[in-house]
Amino acid sequence: MSTGRRPLPARLTGWAGAVGLAALAVLVAGLIALIVVAVRGEPPPATIAQEAHQIAATLRCPICEDLSVADSPAPLAGQMRQQITQQLKAGRTADQIRANFVASYGDTVLLSPPHQGIGQIAYVLPFVVLGAGVLAAVLLLRGNKRRQRVARGKPGARQADPSVADRDRLADALARLREEEP
Amino acid sequence: MSVGVRRGLLLTGVLAVVAIVAALLTSGLRHDPSATASPLVGRAAPDFTLPELDGPPVHLAALRGQVVVVNFWASWCTECHTEQPALNATWARFRDSGVVVLGVDFEDNDADARDYIASEGSDYPVVVDANSNTALAFGVRGVPETYVLDRSGRIVDRIIGAVDAPTLEHTLDLLVGGGAQ
Repeated sequence: MSTGRRPLPARLTGWAGAVGLAALAVLVAGLIALIVVAVRGEPPPATIAQEAHQIAATLRCPICEDLSVADSPAPLAGQMRQQITQQLKAGRTADQIRANFVASYGDTVLLSPPHQGIGQIAYVLPFVVLGAGVLAAVLLLRGNKRRQRVARGKPGARQADPSVADRDRLADALARLREEEP
Repeated sequence: MSVGVRRGLLLTGVLAVVAIVAALLTSGLRHDPSATASPLVGRAAPDFTLPELDGPPVHLAALRGQVVVVNFWASWCTECHTEQPALNATWARFRDSGVVVLGVDFEDNDADARDYIASEGSDYPVVVDANSNTALAFGVRGVPETYVLDRSGRIVDRIIGAVDAPTLEHTLDLLVGGGAQ
């Protein structure tokens, strides 16, 4: 029974490489899409009502279980929506209005973590993980290619150094050849 | 470093990251936002002028110099009935010691509020927060919720749920200098 590993057929390793490249392309496309969304943000609202709805959607209803102020039917959430509209009409910005609610309720009134302090981790971590994934995929693909070259014996492939036992066997064979020579 | 050791280290690293993320998510799910400390504790209470249920408007700033217990409540609130004897007793004990208990009726109607007050026998001032703007300014997450203000108008304590008479009276003793009997 042979214990040696049988090398993969060339067609299969080619497919594996193509799948790896496709996965890498998907990762890079995802990274680009994330960056574009992060930089551009939501489209600007056309009316005060739309802007009020956008702000309300970023706030947690204080007396509900995991509902935004925009979605909550609670009277208190309704009053918060009314306050948002009034403050927008008074010329306050979305950040100023959110800060007003944070001053009373703390950061937990925000549905998304704040862009400062420990909250920044939530925004940076996905990019770090994605970058690590792309790096791992590149290293994996390079390792696969190197193994393929070694398996095919292509020039430029890095061969493993012979072991001490192999060197000894080679030296013995050469010595025998020299002895047999006339 | 052998391939086996390298794979073992990689697996350990991945498991460690998964464990950390799982721990963070679990702690987030177990955390009750309503139990979060109010950012207003230690700061000046938001000022308000609200109509009394059966009397003239009450301006919070006009009570400066007295210790104020602001209690958000509603007639439909079961826990408010539970705490009412404690509030009545506190008012009876401290009303002549520079302490004002002020009820703020939250998301209620006046007729039900009057019936509640009559049945509970409370006689401290009660104001009506008809549009809930005062509740929002105080960061109220439900009723009952109680805020204790010192003589300068600064919030020194926030009690979520029914007040406990000994705890509330201990806080007030400290604020009035232990003079009330």
